Amino acid sequence: MARILVADDSETILLLLRTRLEMEGHEVETAADGQETVEKVQAAGPPDILLLDAMMPRKSGIDAVRELRAAGVETPVLIVSAHTGEGDGNDDRDDLRIDGYLTKPIDFDQLFTKIAELTT
Amino acid sequence: MRLSPSLANRLTIGFAIAFAVLTGLAVIGVARFLQQRQDYENATARSYQREIDARERLANDQRPAAARAVIISQQRQRHELRDEISGETRDTALLVGAGLIAGLTGAALLFTGLIASMRRPLEDLVEASGRLAGGDLDARVKVGGLSETATLGSAFNEMAEELQRRAGERDQLDRMKDEFVLTASHELRSPLTSVQGFAELLLLEREKLSPQQAETVEVILENTRHLVRLLNDLLDLARSDAGRLTIRPKPTAAANLIEEATRTMRAQFDSRDQRLAVEIEPDLPWIEADRDRIRQVLVNLLTNAHEYCPQGAHIGVQARRAYAEVEIDVIDDGPGIPAEQLEHIFERFTRGDAGETQRVGGTGLGLAISKSLVELHGGTIGATSTPGSGSTFRVRLPSIAAPAAAPTQPSRTEAS
Repeated sequence: MARILVADDSETILLLLRTRLEMEGHEVETAADGQETVEKVQAAGPPDILLLDAMMPRKSGIDAVRELRAAGVETPVLIVSAHTGEGDGNDDRDDLRIDGYLTKPIDFDQLFTKIAELTT
Repeated sequence: MRLSPSLANRLTIGFAIAFAVLTGLAVIGVARFLQQRQDYENATARSYQREIDARERLANDQRPAAARAVIISQQRQRHELRDEISGETRDTALLVGAGLIAGLTGAALLFTGLIASMRRPLEDLVEASGRLAGGDLDARVKVGGLSETATLGSAFNEMAEELQRRAGERDQLDRMKDEFVLTASHELRSPLTSVQGFAELLLLEREKLSPQQAETVEVILENTRHLVRLLNDLLDLARSDAGRLTIRPKPTAAANLIEEATRTMRAQFDSRDQRLAVEIEPDLPWIEADRDRIRQVLVNLLTNAHEYCPQGAHIGVQARRAYAEVEIDVIDDGPGIPAEQLEHIFERFTRGDAGETQRVGGTGLGLAISKSLVELHGGTIGATSTPGSGSTFRVRLPSIAAPAAAPTQPSRTEAS
């Protein structure tokens, strides 16, 4: 199935995402923040999908996407946000070509549908 | 208000001066007039006496030439006296008249001045209190004029200052509260995500759990979902209070949106054998709506109907054009809402009977949020109920013309 890089600053949420995604047959790599995400993409090459928490210490998911897009990485991105229905004030979302937003608590059916859409 | 000594004194002094001047003038004028009359009469009498004496001498033929001269000179003198007295009387009359006019003018000026010095500050006060009442807490008056108006003015300014200070404190508290709710909601979301996620994970392997364990996990999950709903509602309310509840309205086919909302609720109604009948008038107009938010309102109304109505209840959704609005009714034949509760039903944390709410899973915030959302769309929401035979919640949203490019339903003319 898909190789997915998941980033969240909460270890339990990483464990949850890893478990559910692996049960669906995906290959999961994790990162604790945006900085680590960028480093892992640069070191190991881009995965099939990036699943990033919007707000993380050191570097937010949004900032990581901005940096990766600037470096020419075109990997599809899904953003998990703790806020519902409201952007966090970033105006250049369109340029970042974010493929989807999910809110916490995560609706896994919705997540799996998105992943299926992005990998076909 | 009692007049202050200064104003009272000024009025008294004004009156006294005007009275003294006018009385003085009148007395002087009359005295002078009487004096002049007296002098004239005395002089005239003396003149007649001299003439009579002269005429006697003329009759006795004593120095007739001199006597004639005296008679002529006395007659001429009386003529002069008469001219003089009429001149003097005129002068006196003029003097008194001029004095009276001057006095009255002075008095008039005094009072006009007093009125003017009160009028400006009073007008300012009236204007400023109007602004203050209208919510402009910056409204102040210029302190000045008489001591009364100055006192009134500074009292007004102090009051406005105090109001502004309290409003500032309240705004700050409100901001802190909103900030707190936003932060708390954000911070609580991550642990709740874990709890809900792992509970769901356990239920994925239900066959490995004993029935009792499965039930326990379901209770955890149900309560977590309730917490999340509560959190979402609190967040919406905090945003609404902070004026940050925003909607992104787009032209939307109302019929389509209503069908979508009712479709998501079907399974829940079926689970309790409740009948859901949806009647949408053909050619229902378009509305300018944030799809997610209007769906949230309709789902909230349907959820309430579902939760407060007994098994097998009938729930209806009826949508029609009403003048320039789309009218959506959510009707149930449930227990209804007593009048005293109906009044407050759109206020936050207002819910049905305590007994009922134990069973019903709502947060008590749904209708308050629905009201905010509908009002943000320029619409209205209301409820009517007959206890024992059901309730009707009515949402009205302004209709718009369907976009030209949009596919329209085949037109039918029947009304429903």
